[in-house]
Amino acid sequence: MSALLEVRGLTTHFDTRGGVLKAVEDVSFEVGEGEIVGLVGESGSGKSVTGFSILGLVDAPGRIVSGSVRFAGRELVGLGHGALRSMRGREMAMVFQDPSATLNPVLTVGQQMRLAIAAHERVGEAAATARCVEALTIVGIPDAARRLENYPHQFSGGMRQRVAIAIALLNRPKLIICDEPTTALDVSIQAQILTEMKSLAARLGTAMIWISHDLATVSSVASRLLVMYAGRIIEAGPVASVLRSPRHPYTRGLLNSLPSMARPGQDLVQIPGSMPSLANLPEGCSFRPRCPKAQEDCKVMPALTGDGARAFRCRHPLDREVAA
Amino acid sequence: MLGFVIQRLMQAFVVMLVISALVFVGVYAVGNPIDVLISPDATQLIREQTIRAYGLDQPLWKQYLDFLGRLSRGDFGRSFVFNMPVLDLIFSRLPATIELTLAAVFGATLLGVPLGIYAGYRPESPISKAIMALSILGFSVPTFWIGLVLIFTFAVTLGWLPAGNRGDTVTIFGVQWSFLTWNGLTHLFLPALNLSLFKFAMMVRLARAGTRETMLTDTVKFARAAGESEWTILSRHVLRLIAIPIVTVFGLELGSTLAFAVVTETIFSWPGVGKLIIDSISTLDRPVMVAYLMLVAFLFIVINFTVDIAYAALDPRLRTRRAA
Ligand SMILES: Nc1ncnc2c1ncn2[C@@H]1O[C@H](COP(=O)(O)OP(=O)(O)OP(=O)(O)O)[C@@H](O)[C@H]1O
Ligand SMILES: [Mg+2]
Repeated sequence: MSALLEVRGLTTHFDTRGGVLKAVEDVSFEVGEGEIVGLVGESGSGKSVTGFSILGLVDAPGRIVSGSVRFAGRELVGLGHGALRSMRGREMAMVFQDPSATLNPVLTVGQQMRLAIAAHERVGEAAATARCVEALTIVGIPDAARRLENYPHQFSGGMRQRVAIAIALLNRPKLIICDEPTTALDVSIQAQILTEMKSLAARLGTAMIWISHDLATVSSVASRLLVMYAGRIIEAGPVASVLRSPRHPYTRGLLNSLPSMARPGQDLVQIPGSMPSLANLPEGCSFRPRCPKAQEDCKVMPALTGDGARAFRCRHPLDREVAA
Repeated sequence: MLGFVIQRLMQAFVVMLVISALVFVGVYAVGNPIDVLISPDATQLIREQTIRAYGLDQPLWKQYLDFLGRLSRGDFGRSFVFNMPVLDLIFSRLPATIELTLAAVFGATLLGVPLGIYAGYRPESPISKAIMALSILGFSVPTFWIGLVLIFTFAVTLGWLPAGNRGDTVTIFGVQWSFLTWNGLTHLFLPALNLSLFKFAMMVRLARAGTRETMLTDTVKFARAAGESEWTILSRHVLRLIAIPIVTVFGLELGSTLAFAVVTETIFSWPGVGKLIIDSISTLDRPVMVAYLMLVAFLFIVINFTVDIAYAALDPRLRTRRAA
């Protein structure tokens, strides 16, 4: 069976005044039907740009330089504006980080939801309202019919993000790209939404790409993990396996810096240095300047290699830990 | 909401009172109308009689109190020069100015906002560059000069349009309007065009700046991710989001043009209040000046109030705050 989404060698650059910014470089992965894939990496590693590239929404001066994005067997790179637009929202949707910035403050929630429906179908007034109410109810907004008349500022932060999720769900897309949808919320609501989204995806059979810089968050929703560094995927595999035995030194570093992974009383370990500028990447492996295991042969970019489900981009991978 | 209205009415009353005092003192300082009213070779007796008849022998504070007393009975006094009630005089001239102002401000807005949105949406296109060049012209070339050029080109050289006056009018509810006859319209066109150029330039700039900023927001990205068309995004999202500064400037322009269309009215011999006030200043016709300036202040209060109401209609966040 072929995957729902197949990304191959995706490369997206921004032509800026300071040179070519290689935001996404040779990214390949798959998402199966109903699967939740986590995409982690620190700020600026190219996670959002990867998401936008899939939807065909890269802003100028950015452009997809090469690669392929196949969705349900259909190639999206190079597809016309009209065809892409009609796929967005209907086949695949996206939810952003800050719901108070994504929702339009001067339109009621109902108006915004109807616009999202009208983008794809002509639906009567009553039927549209019914669909809006249904979507709001699914994401756990009580008294949905009345809430349609409310403006975004009349919702709490968590409720606002639920509204955004409801809008993404309106046309029942097969894939939702969630770009850090819980980062702007406080921790208890974060956990709530996380759990709900997970069961929602299972119930509706919706596949998700869950983007976050927080390894712990992603691990709690996703079944498979992609770790991104400086525009490239440097490690991929099932969540449990990656967490138990990371093979790339960067993933190891990320894990060590997680509070939940440290033993109580033990200092958190920071990765020394910072991510290089995407306009001026070092020769070879991008992590080389910060890597404790770097050697002369790291000056040539290693390929993404691996065994079976696990893949990593490193010549000197960490040993596979024997299950303890 | 009612509390808000009452509060504003009381503010308006105080403001008008202060304005009346300032205007009265100011006009008093401009010069003594006696020299204009009476021919230099009048006898001393006639001179004194006239001074007494106009109440000019009283001290300033007494004159002011008398004025307030008459005002409370709705009496603004009589024009020294035209020897008719000031209000009748002003209201006989006002329709011409209102007509000219509305034509100019609405024309500028209805044309400037869409063009500005286009220029903000496609900043690099040659059409946008042409629109911006036109707006720079509208900003930097003085109104009187453009007026003269318009007359020279369209009235004198080409002979297509009349150079001045109102042309044929139609009387409705006892008020004369030019825009209802073809001949009147041809007379209205050039002065309205002249007056609107600066406002057009301003509307283009405002709409362009707002659109450029709004197009980069997550609100627009989210609408795109939902598959909404560019037309929907511009007409339903962007236009609503940039409406507030546009309404503000619209109101201010409406007020200031009604009050100070002087230059254009003079160049095109348009018989409006602008011309009346210039004449009344040169003849030191105090009652006309005082009544006119108070009318202008009143106009600004009404317009500001309307703009505030419009804010609440346009921005739901303000509505809730005020209700709270
Ligand atoms: N419109 C743009 N113009 C220029 N550069 C951009 C643009 N959008 C993104 N970039 C660059 O692309 C790189 C990757 O950005 P991206 O937003 O994908 O990072 P991210 O991994 O999502 O980070 P974060 O966790 O902060 O959201 C960054 O260096 C960013 O500066
Ligand atoms: Mg991001």
